[in-house]
Amino acid sequence: MPATDYQASFLGRISIRRNQVIAMDGNHEQELQDLELFSKHVSERFAELLSSPDDIPFHALLSISWLRKLLDFFLCCEAEFKGVLMMGNDPSQISKPPLDRLIPEFLDRSVKALDVCNAVTNGLESVRHYQKLAEIVVSALEQKPIGDGQSRRAKKALTSLMSAMNVDDKECSAAKATERSWSFSRRGVSSKDRVPEHFRSVSNQVAKNWSAAKQIQAMTNNLVPPRGAEGSGLASPVYTMSVIMVFVMWALVAAIPCQERNGLSAIHFPAPKQLNWAQSIIGLHEKIGEEWKKKEKKGTAGLLDEMQKMEKLGNILMDFTDSFQFHGDITDQKAEEAAARSAELAETCRRMEEGLLPLQIQIREVFHRIVKTRTELLNALDQVGKSSSPLL
Amino acid sequence: MDGCRSGVPTYEGDLHVVAAAHHIVKALGATKNLSDDLRKILIDLDSHLSMITSNIDSKGGRGLVDVEERLDQAERKIMRWETDPMMIWDSGPKEASDYLLAVDETGKLVDGLRGLSVHENRKQKEILHRAMNIFQTAMSRLEEELIHILVRHGQQFEPKNMYSRSIRKDIVYDESFVSVEDEPTKETSSQNCSNDESGECIVDLVHADVIPDIKSIAKVMFTSNYGPEFCEAFISVQKEALEQYFSFLGTENLSIEDVLKMEWTCLSSKMNKWTWSMKIIVRVYLASEKQLCDQVLGGLGSVSSYCFLEISKATILCLLNFGEAVAMGPHRPEKLLRLLDMYETLADLLRDIDTLFSEEAGSFIQLQFHELLERLGESAIAAFKAFRVAISSNGSLYPFAGGGVHPLNKYVMNYIRMFPEYWNTLNLLLKNQHPGVADQVTKPDYGPDTSLLTSCPMAYHLRSITSCLESNLHKKSQLYKDEALQHIFLMNNIHYLVQKVKGSELRLFFGDEWIRKHNAMFQQHAMNYERATWSSVVSFLKDNNPGSSSMSKSTFKERCKGFSIAFEEVYKTQTSWSIPDPQLREDLRISTSLKVVLAYRTFLGRNLAYTDDKCVKHTVEHVENSLLDLFGGSSRSLRNSRRW
Repeated sequence: MPATDYQASFLGRISIRRNQVIAMDGNHEQELQDLELFSKHVSERFAELLSSPDDIPFHALLSISWLRKLLDFFLCCEAEFKGVLMMGNDPSQISKPPLDRLIPEFLDRSVKALDVCNAVTNGLESVRHYQKLAEIVVSALEQKPIGDGQSRRAKKALTSLMSAMNVDDKECSAAKATERSWSFSRRGVSSKDRVPEHFRSVSNQVAKNWSAAKQIQAMTNNLVPPRGAEGSGLASPVYTMSVIMVFVMWALVAAIPCQERNGLSAIHFPAPKQLNWAQSIIGLHEKIGEEWKKKEKKGTAGLLDEMQKMEKLGNILMDFTDSFQFHGDITDQKAEEAAARSAELAETCRRMEEGLLPLQIQIREVFHRIVKTRTELLNALDQVGKSSSPLL
Repeated sequence: MDGCRSGVPTYEGDLHVVAAAHHIVKALGATKNLSDDLRKILIDLDSHLSMITSNIDSKGGRGLVDVEERLDQAERKIMRWETDPMMIWDSGPKEASDYLLAVDETGKLVDGLRGLSVHENRKQKEILHRAMNIFQTAMSRLEEELIHILVRHGQQFEPKNMYSRSIRKDIVYDESFVSVEDEPTKETSSQNCSNDESGECIVDLVHADVIPDIKSIAKVMFTSNYGPEFCEAFISVQKEALEQYFSFLGTENLSIEDVLKMEWTCLSSKMNKWTWSMKIIVRVYLASEKQLCDQVLGGLGSVSSYCFLEISKATILCLLNFGEAVAMGPHRPEKLLRLLDMYETLADLLRDIDTLFSEEAGSFIQLQFHELLERLGESAIAAFKAFRVAISSNGSLYPFAGGGVHPLNKYVMNYIRMFPEYWNTLNLLLKNQHPGVADQVTKPDYGPDTSLLTSCPMAYHLRSITSCLESNLHKKSQLYKDEALQHIFLMNNIHYLVQKVKGSELRLFFGDEWIRKHNAMFQQHAMNYERATWSSVVSFLKDNNPGSSSMSKSTFKERCKGFSIAFEEVYKTQTSWSIPDPQLREDLRISTSLKVVLAYRTFLGRNLAYTDDKCVKHTVEHVENSLLDLFGGSSRSLRNSRRW
């Protein structure tokens, strides 16, 4: 199971980390090395993500496996960050400037990230729904010989799939969710296979009027690179981790259907290029941002590689079923083409079947980890607060 | 079932195959030891094969024509509904079963034709496509019928009928801790869901009458390979119904950020609602949903649990997220009881959850529940600690007027009076929590009568809390300049403490020895008060040389005057003091009376010769009555009194 692989590697890193921390023994030079090591690891990891080859579908940018890798790296960075911040240093530092301001801001960002995690988890439920519809398409087109009946069955599922994937974020976010009806109004129906309207369920909302884009925009508030002397201290890992967190959440929201994403592409990271670790993140941000801008106009469920494939194949197969219904029959060549597309769609479904649940579990893990770090930081702040002003 | 569908032989070779198969089936049927199932299958098969052979016999190879006739018939039955505005299952059982028969027939024809299609007979292919087209229409229709039945016969149930919100006999404290100094605590009685509803109550989410209909649709759709369509339709309707019910319960989705920012009173009611909704959703709604899934989809392997998971997942995650948000929030003391409610509810539901989501796919949900339980437990402990810290750090700048029962004391005691209700949970959570070095005093050195309850973790912590409270009250008593008032304050407060313990289940945890010790404590303060106030007053009445019969008149006058002034002074001050407990007030008055009035009477009696003198300002009766005015809470003066 991939989750355990990941865990093993993760724990490995942590234990190495611990040894380093113990060996460090509060030495300032070691501390600096430590910070350097942290940003080195960050840049290595994100460079790896940036260089993911597009031609191998399994590792393509924003594919399920890519996202899982991203989250894996997030968890690793997060663990190292905590190590740098809490294990190797004088705990009272976190209550002194500039950290006394930066840590609460970081915690505020963390809470916002939690809501994003939940929104994305909800979004994955929609993706799973797409997968199920696509599976029906595959199963309809699998049957031989392909006839009008199967073609209609496939078309019906395709119509549901395409309309579900093209549901506008804004439209489905709040207003529509409350009033729904299943009435098909049988009178005067012309189509033979009525497609029930796709609705986004209420439980897929984080909250009324919640917006993923605004949330991420808010996460970038006060996010500025440390300047001058601050740059060499603990302010820098806090900043680095914040950028990573914002980026990861932003990428998830871009990839997976999410409540209200208007303005997602307008979000900028104030990450200066001269910082080594930031280059890959900036590169990824630009790359994904471009993609998003292309899709934004058309309205898209998300940039998840598997979903984009699904959309592309869906369109082709839709044409195929249309022409089928129009002509009543098709040429062998077309049938072969459709079979090939259908096989591709089957492969995409298989990857989703394999990857979606682990991804969902991983997002939950990220959620729990953020909660845990937040609690630990709050406790540490509390502890420092107590020791500096003992109770009477 | 698929195997029984009668094929349509069109060629010589096939006819031989059919004849051979028929022969084998007949031979097999003659075997004696066959299971009932197998025998039935053979009989079915036999009849199908006979039908084919008879077709061939009578029509002499005109099988295709026959097939076409059969298809025409089925098509008429299926297509006529396409223009009918009525739903089939609404039109009556006869219509429904006719329709299903026609669908079944079409299915058989499709299967039969497909089995032979290798021959690429054009006519045959055409019929196959036509049959499949009709079949798709029927399947699409069945999906609609299914949705219609589920929606039309879906049943709403009133949560109140399902789960009586029984009133917990105690008083619930919802105020925040910080309000302690500002105003006296109001005792608000509120409804609470009690834990004793353990019996599962399952309701029919869909009317029981239509279950067979749904099952028959499920059966035909699954056998025809349209299972995914069935599941999608079933899941969407049921998921929506659950969501509607969820909002019907008044639960709304809240972001974690919102929850963290929420005002305490609002949060408290949301926490209450969560506890209540969680129980209904899990124990009633989901248990019923599970039953429905099993009824409809049982026997189809993991389909039932897959559908159940898809239906319930989103709502469950929504409930869990609120729990997570609450557990994350600042651990304020006033949150403790609500957190314990949530913890107990969840702990109580764990077994239900483990059963509902027992399959591997559901382990994710199971895990989330277990994690949340742990988190709520940690949060409750943190709130418990915060409660103690809040008690010891509750500071006052000014003495509490009148020396009555301090609001902090009231708050704390009324709050901890609730703890015995959460006895098991608190014990579990506090097991590994040490009250701290400073609280060694709380160790029960109460001798052999120490029962199990007085030595449980909760009991330690309770005593630790009250000792925190006591030391804080001592600190507060130091704010009074008047020593006597210090004692009145402590007497009142310790008396209150003891009364609260004695009058509730707390006594079981504090133990008789603690009560005895604290009884002695407030009595000691009462005595100290008397000494501090009255010793000097009564000293005027003391006979300095008990040997002689009487004192000189001038001494008497002086003593009388001194007594009067002192007594008036005490009267003026101490009428404003307060002893809220009537019994305690009465007792103290009596004992004061005994001391003062007796001394005064003796004093006057011994100096009868001078008593007519004007210097005796107060008669014994005056003094006795005046003492009744003490501790009334409003200052009075003897000079303005009517009795003067």
